[in-house]
Amino acid sequence: MFRRLGDMDSLFGNINLLRDRLNSLYSDYDRPLAYDDIWGTEESMPRISLYEDGNNFEIMAEVPGLPKEDIHVKIQGNYLEISGTRKSDAPKGYRILKSERGSVSFSRSMTLPADVDSSKVSASLKNGILYLTLPRAESSKVKTITVN
Amino acid sequence: MDKKNEIVKSEGKNIEKARGLQEVAPAVDIFESENEIMLYADMPGVVKENLSVNIDKGILSLSGVRKLQTKKTATWEEFGNVNYVRSFSVPPTIDVGRVEAELKDGVLRLHMTKSEQAKPKKIEIKTA
Repeated sequence: MFRRLGDMDSLFGNINLLRDRLNSLYSDYDRPLAYDDIWGTEESMPRISLYEDGNNFEIMAEVPGLPKEDIHVKIQGNYLEISGTRKSDAPKGYRILKSERGSVSFSRSMTLPADVDSSKVSASLKNGILYLTLPRAESSKVKTITVN
Repeated sequence: MDKKNEIVKSEGKNIEKARGLQEVAPAVDIFESENEIMLYADMPGVVKENLSVNIDKGILSLSGVRKLQTKKTATWEEFGNVNYVRSFSVPPTIDVGRVEAELKDGVLRLHMTKSEQAKPKKIEIKTA
């Protein structure tokens, strides 16, 4: 019985998708491109997200299948550049039936909202996601001033 | 236990029914040789525990849920938590019992071995 309920749900999946899209019409407005463009995803690789709190910026970037040697991160002041090459991992002697992942060179740069201390930046690579933690430079840290 | 509770429980258990997640088709490469079919799928951020690969009635379905964790405020967000979902028809020549899956650096690699009788054979012609 419940199994069939699940089947019904997947049957109406497209209608649900449309409804969800309409629901998020206003909240999605002016947001950077996410998954709307399914066919163009590889062009915009890697997708990057930026998070921040008072002291740190945190960058996440999607880099599936890249070893750490092939990723380069450059930081200068508040300028950040992530570049790399994705080499083809296609096995030799196989017939290609579908090829969507592609092997590309990419480079993305962005201006961070504030200067970062480039000597304290740490980077890690986990499950195909690059994590960068960038501490704000002393000069751009939030200061609390006490009133006498 | 009444029926209402059961529905709630089964939804929580079922990985492919995680609600509120955007469903995305992962990019895949498929290769074929005489002995096997290989499928590579990009699923950055998916951990092994949240990935399921099923073959049932000739349909291979992949489902991987990505849960990113950050306590900071998003300033710019191009990707978030998603459910990577995609299904494929697999030819009956695939030996379902010998399918191998490996997840590394956000790439899922499936090795599907063809069964012995499906491999191409060269037939020798005997001279009379």
